[in-house]
Amino acid sequence: MPPLRGVFMVDVAVIGAGQTKYGNHALGLKGMWAEAAERAFSSIDGDFSPSQVDEAFIGSIAFGGAQLGNTAALLTEHSAMAGVPVRRVENACASSGFAFRDAWMAIKSGEADVVVAGGIEKMNDLTPERKRYWLGVSGDTEWERLAGLTFPGTYALMARRHFHEYGSTHDDLVNISVKNHLHGSMNKLAHIQKEVSFEKAANGFMVADPLTLYDCCPTSDGASCVILAADHVVRGFTDTPVWVLGSGAASDHLALHDRPSITQLRATAASSKRAYSQAGITSNDVDLAEVHDCFTIAELMATEDLGFAERGEGGQFAREERGLLNQGAVTINPSGGLKSKGHPLGATGTGQVVEVFKQLRSEVESNRQVRDASIGLTHNVGGSGATCAVHLFGRERN
Amino acid sequence: MSSLVWKGYLLHAEPTFTIVQSPFTHHGERVFGADSDATTLAVAAVQHRLTEQSIESVTVPEGIDASTLTSSTSILIADETTFEACEWDLLLSDEATVVLMRRGSDVELPQFDVDLPVDEEFYNALNEAWGQEMNVTNVSQGAYVSVAQYEEAASSRLGLIGQKFNGGVTWPPRQMDSEARAHGEVTALAHIGKVQSWTRLSAAGAPSEFSTRAPLLGGISTVLLRLNDGPSGVFLVVDDEEPDISMDMDMELVVRRIYAQEGIIRYGLKARAI
Repeated sequence: MPPLRGVFMVDVAVIGAGQTKYGNHALGLKGMWAEAAERAFSSIDGDFSPSQVDEAFIGSIAFGGAQLGNTAALLTEHSAMAGVPVRRVENACASSGFAFRDAWMAIKSGEADVVVAGGIEKMNDLTPERKRYWLGVSGDTEWERLAGLTFPGTYALMARRHFHEYGSTHDDLVNISVKNHLHGSMNKLAHIQKEVSFEKAANGFMVADPLTLYDCCPTSDGASCVILAADHVVRGFTDTPVWVLGSGAASDHLALHDRPSITQLRATAASSKRAYSQAGITSNDVDLAEVHDCFTIAELMATEDLGFAERGEGGQFAREERGLLNQGAVTINPSGGLKSKGHPLGATGTGQVVEVFKQLRSEVESNRQVRDASIGLTHNVGGSGATCAVHLFGRERN
Repeated sequence: MSSLVWKGYLLHAEPTFTIVQSPFTHHGERVFGADSDATTLAVAAVQHRLTEQSIESVTVPEGIDASTLTSSTSILIADETTFEACEWDLLLSDEATVVLMRRGSDVELPQFDVDLPVDEEFYNALNEAWGQEMNVTNVSQGAYVSVAQYEEAASSRLGLIGQKFNGGVTWPPRQMDSEARAHGEVTALAHIGKVQSWTRLSAAGAPSEFSTRAPLLGGISTVLLRLNDGPSGVFLVVDDEEPDISMDMDMELVVRRIYAQEGIIRYGLKARAI
């Protein structure tokens, strides 16, 4: 057996990260991306030039079709990275979670030392009717769309089944909504910086029974950008890198009805198992987790699939407010999550990394800083669970 | 034979003919339900006849979609070369009624005592909405299901044709199984299943393909069914019935209109309470 090549031992760190505010953004694709990239560049402590970037991966669904082809080349052109090998990564809402994994793998391969991973989505420049055309394009269209389903409907099916199998309730989902709105109210980059009462969230407009408006994330504009570097060049950029401890990804049947269970996302369980194993840690070691709560039931199931709660006990976890900021062993979605921070589809995955990067460097608003945060997790899901990427980060190397 | 409710329609069957009629009336005349038309009634007629006897082929008049009829029932449609040999004809009447008859038989239309008047405003608005949907320029820009993609799986979508793989039944069909073997043996699944979950989407939460009709219907309902033969599927609930859905409830699948785009009606299986 030939000896292992040295490149397999390369560790990877995040050296810079930035994002736009999420929400109804006045800027277009180019402006939003340039803003996120500039914030990522300027977050690097030492000298850095975009010309040092070897490779770039940018996640986007290209919602609305404004720039479906060569999206990424347009964006790098407008962020001082023209000439860099770049491509758009598309895996629905997990696009930039996979862009980040691709960037990590590019460095692990030894081919690149400094790599950009990012994401972007412009959703609110469409008329309501065109927006509805584009929502729900990431399920098994031929079967689910013809059955009247977009994602509110798909997650509503999961919620009702979870209620039936495990006794969880809509009140448990309301607790998640209230928590994430509270966290988001303290995040200056969040789409919805507003607390919501239990009563209001419990009695919201019914979108897809049993899910109300307060169970659903908003449609947001936004961009996010992170810069990764190989261990042998990290110290030239910063003394406080955030190390990538583990990366796991998986896929599952695209259609909900093809899966043996709809109360678990197998892709999440498989991704996190791989990431934990790589990092040599367990869920008990995680201080904060940015989980993919496109709907409140998604966060409830994620707490189980990521190992923070036993199978079927996600409702109890939410009921006991164990994910609330600095209340339990792990803080879930200190940014406000997709529910409150917002969900600009392709930007969400690397936006989660921005949050963990800042939390582990104690750079977020002091009133929402996770105490003694040393290990963070990001969980990015595509569609109703057909794709998933989980990453673990630490202040210290493995 | 006798009169009964079949697939949500009124049905009367004799040895030489089958009559299927809509239960709804408007100003005293029979009219189609919210997602029914002559094609869906014809499918129901053929399906019932096939429970009694074997029919190889049938003639189909204008107004019934032959492709949907074949995909739903596997029956052959007679053409010019097979017309003479064909023993069964489908006929349309003016009042939301379809007759399937052995050629040369005498048919007497029965008087069904079921009469469900439709709300005039709702009826007119829904027909107008279907008219808008049928405009050839009406096409989804986000979740486009092309005619080719729709027809590729038509027998599976309309006739519940599955595959036998590794001792089990797979539906919808796969291009290959988990061991990379192509196309298992074809098998027709029973159109019955149990509710595993369900939701009712508000008009605002419904896909854009339903944007003209969902507000009129007050939303649309979808169920996840575990079919009695094993596989699961998601299905719309029929538009003209409002069953009180519960977990593990038995539902049957019937052919109805789903939506239209590019001037073509897309048919599919919808669920109704048994």
